[in-house]
Amino acid sequence: MKKKIVTLAIFCVVLSAYRFVKEALFVVPVNFPEPVYDFSKNPLSPPKILLGRALFYDPILSRNNTISCASCHAQFSAFTHSDHALSHGIDDKIGIRNSPSLINLAWQRLFMRDGAINHLDMQALAPIHNIAEMDENIIHVVSKLQATKIYPKLYYNSFGDSIITGEHTLKAISQFMLTLVSSNSKYDSVMRDQSVFTDQEKNGYLLFQQNCASCHTEPLFTNNNFSNNGLAIDTSLRDLGRFGVTKIASDSLKFKVPTLRNIEFSYPYMHDGRFKRLSQVLNHYTLGIKKSNTLAKELQNPIKLTSNEKVDLMAFLFTLTDKSFLYNTSFAYPKEVFAESTK
Amino acid sequence: MIQKVKYSILFCLLILSNKDWAQNLYTMQFVVKEGATRFNFSDTLTLANDSNDVQITTLKFYVSKIQFLKRHKIVFEEKNSFHLVDFSNAASLQIAIASDSKLSYDELRFNIGIDSATNVSGAMGNDLDPTKGMYWTWQSGYINFKLEGQSVLCNTRNNEFQFHLGGYMSPYVGLQTLIFPVKNKTKVSLQLDISKIITSIDLAKSNHIMSPSTEGVLLSKIIANSFTVYHK
Repeated sequence: MKKKIVTLAIFCVVLSAYRFVKEALFVVPVNFPEPVYDFSKNPLSPPKILLGRALFYDPILSRNNTISCASCHAQFSAFTHSDHALSHGIDDKIGIRNSPSLINLAWQRLFMRDGAINHLDMQALAPIHNIAEMDENIIHVVSKLQATKIYPKLYYNSFGDSIITGEHTLKAISQFMLTLVSSNSKYDSVMRDQSVFTDQEKNGYLLFQQNCASCHTEPLFTNNNFSNNGLAIDTSLRDLGRFGVTKIASDSLKFKVPTLRNIEFSYPYMHDGRFKRLSQVLNHYTLGIKKSNTLAKELQNPIKLTSNEKVDLMAFLFTLTDKSFLYNTSFAYPKEVFAESTK
Repeated sequence: MIQKVKYSILFCLLILSNKDWAQNLYTMQFVVKEGATRFNFSDTLTLANDSNDVQITTLKFYVSKIQFLKRHKIVFEEKNSFHLVDFSNAASLQIAIASDSKLSYDELRFNIGIDSATNVSGAMGNDLDPTKGMYWTWQSGYINFKLEGQSVLCNTRNNEFQFHLGGYMSPYVGLQTLIFPVKNKTKVSLQLDISKIITSIDLAKSNHIMSPSTEGVLLSKIIANSFTVYHK
C-alpha cells in the first residue's frame, strides 16, 4: 500500500513538473486571445526550440552557406531587415518585398505579405527555395545537416532520431518562431493596470482607436486580413499582392495588415519598404491615399489628423516597443550550440 | 472455477494476439499503359507508339484516402492513408493495406492528390515530407501529380515539359476521387493510360503548368479518367 502511495506521489510530481515546463515554454499573455497554431501537432520542448533557434541562425540553409533566416530577420529590428526597402539575399540579389517582422506568429494563420504560405511550419520552405533569398532546396539542406557534427545530435535530443527529415527541420524552426512573443510593451503594462499612459500617449491612443484600430486591431495590432491601404502601385515592381495568390480581382493590391508592435524599430515600412520614417506613414494616411477599386472601405474618406495629433499618435505607437523582446537573450544567436561544432 | 477463468482469459488473449497475425492484406498495384504495353517502372519511358518522340522522365502522384465500400457504404478506410506512387521507385508502385478482418466489398475508392485539410495542417512526415519533392514552396500546397519529360514538339530548353498539378483552394481544386467496381479482390491492378494523357495535351502550345490553374484542374480531370482497373 505504502509503495503504491509513493509511486502515485512520484507520478503526480512528474506530471506537475511536466505541466510546469510545458506551460513555461509558451504562455498566452493575459490580454491576448488563444493562439491559432495547433501546438498538439508540434508540442514545444526545450531541445526542439534550441534546434530551431540554431537552424534560424545557421546559413547552412542557403545554397552557398552565406544567408540565414536572421540575415533578413534580425532581432534588434524586431526580426525584420532594417535599412533596406527591399530585402537582399544570396549573392546580393534583391528581392521584391520588405521582409516582415516576426512577432506573435502563433496568432497568425497566413504568412508572407500576400498570404501565400498557409501554415507556420511551411513558411521556411519559401525563403530556402527562393532564388533571390537562399536559393537552396530542402532535400539538399537535410543532407547537408545530416553531414554535420552537431545536427544529428541535436535532432536526436529533440525527436529521438538522428536521421534528419524535412518534417522535423520545419517543425523545429516553427518551435523557435513560436517563442517570439512580444507582449511586454508599455501598452501591455497599461492594459494590465501596471502602468499609466502620459497625457500625450493617452491622446495618441484615442486617435489610434478612432483611426487605425479597425485594421490594426488590439492586442495583436493586426486583424490578420489583407487590405489595399491606398499605396500608389510601384511601376517597377508591379506587385499586385494577394491577387497573385488567389487570382481573384477583388484581391488586387491587397497586402497583409502588419502588426504595429515594435514599429519603432521595424523600419522601413510597407510591403516594399517605401517609407523610411513613421511620419511618412502617417502622412500617407492623411494625404497620400490613392483611390482604386479595391481600396479598403476604412480609407474611403481620408483620415484627418493635425500635426500635433500626429505627434501624439506616434507617442502612442512608441508605447508598443517591447525591449524585453528586442533584447531577449533566449532569442539571440545560440553561440553555445555553434561553439560545440568548433571543438 | 478460478482455473476455468484463468484458461478463458488465456484463450481470449491468444485470440486477441492472433488477430494481429491474421491481418488481411489488400494490395493496389499501379502500372503505366501505353497502347497494349504495360510498364512497371523505369528511369525514362519512351512512348513507342507516339510519333512525336515523347519521353517521360518523372511520373509521380499521391494516392490517398483509400476506402472499400459495400453498397455505397464504407466498410473499411485506411488510417493515415497517404502514399506517394513514384515510377522511378518500384517499391512505391504497390500499396499494401492491412485490415483486421476480411473485407466484403464491391467498390474501391481513393483520391489522386491531397485533400484541403491536410494541405493546411503544417509539416508532415513519411510520404508527405516536403523532401519528397511534391510540395510547392513559394505558395503552400502539395503537388498532387507530377509529370515531366521531353518532346520534340516542345520549343523549350532541352525540349522539356513539366506538369505539376495541385491546388486545394476554390476555384482551382486539383484533387480527384476515383471509384472502381471491384468485388472482394485482395489484389487490385490499376493502369494509367499515359498515351491518353499525352495526346490530350497540345505539347507545342502547352508545355508547363506550375501552379493551381484552370488548365491544371482540366488536366487533373483527364488524368483521373486515364486510370482503369485491369485483369491479368
